[in-house]
Amino acid sequence: MTAESLSAPYTVEFPFERTVGPKIGTFLGGLRDARLYGVRTERGVLCPPLEFDPRTGAETGALVPLVTTGTVTSWTWVPSRPGDPLPHDFAWALIAIDGTIGALFHAVDVGGEFARMSTGMRVCARWRQDRIGGMRDIECFEVVP
Amino acid sequence: MTALAVIGVGQSKQAKRREVTIGAMVREAVAQAMADAELTFADIDAVVLSKTPDLFDGVMNPELYLADAMGAVGLPVTRVFTGGSVGGHAALYGAHLVEAGLARRVLVVAYSKESEGNFTWALSRGLPFSVQLGAGAGAHFAPVIREYIRRSNAPEHIGWQVAVNHRLNATRNPYAHVQRPDITVEEVRDSRMLWDPIRFLESCPSSDGSCAIVITGEDDAARAERPPAWIHGMAWRTETGHFAGRDEVNPQAGRECAADAYRQARIVDPAAEIDVAELYIPYSWYEPIWLENIGLADVGSGWKLVEDGRTAFGGDLPVNPSGGVLSGNPTGATGLLRFAEAALQVRGMAGEHQVDGARRAIGHAMGGASQFHALWVVGSAKPGKDRA
Repeated sequence: MTAESLSAPYTVEFPFERTVGPKIGTFLGGLRDARLYGVRTERGVLCPPLEFDPRTGAETGALVPLVTTGTVTSWTWVPSRPGDPLPHDFAWALIAIDGTIGALFHAVDVGGEFARMSTGMRVCARWRQDRIGGMRDIECFEVVP
Repeated sequence: MTALAVIGVGQSKQAKRREVTIGAMVREAVAQAMADAELTFADIDAVVLSKTPDLFDGVMNPELYLADAMGAVGLPVTRVFTGGSVGGHAALYGAHLVEAGLARRVLVVAYSKESEGNFTWALSRGLPFSVQLGAGAGAHFAPVIREYIRRSNAPEHIGWQVAVNHRLNATRNPYAHVQRPDITVEEVRDSRMLWDPIRFLESCPSSDGSCAIVITGEDDAARAERPPAWIHGMAWRTETGHFAGRDEVNPQAGRECAADAYRQARIVDPAAEIDVAELYIPYSWYEPIWLENIGLADVGSGWKLVEDGRTAFGGDLPVNPSGGVLSGNPTGATGLLRFAEAALQVRGMAGEHQVDGARRAIGHAMGGASQFHALWVVGSAKPGKDRA
């Protein structure tokens, strides 16, 4: 008689339908149109936008169109894996979009050359051809030419 | 010990709310309650969140996720978690914080956004080596209702009449989800059978919605711009869902919960001393069941109050003037909505569903398999010094 553990298949599900509302919805719709929006607060413009200022809980104000350039404030170098936005090694970075406070988290492409990566470097968004209204409509950020 | 009062009440429209986020929907109720209390977030000392299990709408730790929407930045936040009764328990927990001197002003917040999830999946999802019944909540309660009918010899139309009464009440409440001004007993009778004897129109809907209240001690209540709802008695009791000899038709925890609250409120004849009751009635037959369980009717005769029209809007003991759970059920907020309606009634602020001369009201909530029970008695007059 062989010892055998019982096993059964189990599929993890996430059967939820999120609502994003007018503020985040406009931001996501903007990404689909290759436009970047921030949102006004008493402290300055936040990008990505939020419905409430996490510091005070106050409702945020109007959405404002932004340029798609910014400055890297912090980063980490990672080897590329399947499913990553780039086929070669790249950086995950916090990027302060021009005219905003805070930072947006995204990939930065420096052609796999670690030595080209630095805090304070200037980057701009590279848009995907087929956009659906999600953060990955920005393929990555790249060095401002 | 300070007297306790509700000085702010807010609620969102109950409906399928696909146009707003969870945070924005919660904020609707919070902003309204804060405006009613004429307070800002800086005046609040603690926040209590009432919510159904995370699986119901798929947000883990909503008490953290909603910290900004609830104005809870930098404040202690507690999440209360007791099934469908949770909103009632959250209100009591908030009152306890003030009573214990741990907070001066507490904001109690409650919500569900059921359109984002799948309630029946969440209640009964397929797990390895466990049976997936997918029976739904009504299938649990239907045999209990059958047993109530058997014991009390109530005629079948009682359930249909309760469904009509509550839906007509909802037509006076702009926040209620279900609006059926033309509903008739015949229409309820002819609606689809879901779980015998529960028909479609005798069942609660699944809703999105939020509710919030502000609880303070007597100093703040005395200074409030609008009349406070004073807490005269409050209690919760719990029993497990299944044990030998358990009577789910008339649960002991519910009886003792109500008796404790009445003792604090110095109520000896609840039916005579209560002007209006807002009870957690998810299926029509739970009106007579709870009337008996919480002592508003003798055992076996709760249905006669329905038969005689006494619990309808113009009756001497109106039940669920808001339209109740049958007219709107954002489950995480459903219990708090009952407690808030009781407060609005004794403040004279219930709008078109105001019961004339309501001075003392019951807010009641039930959860799980009738396991979790919470109840408060609120009044327009400040209670005597020796509550409890």
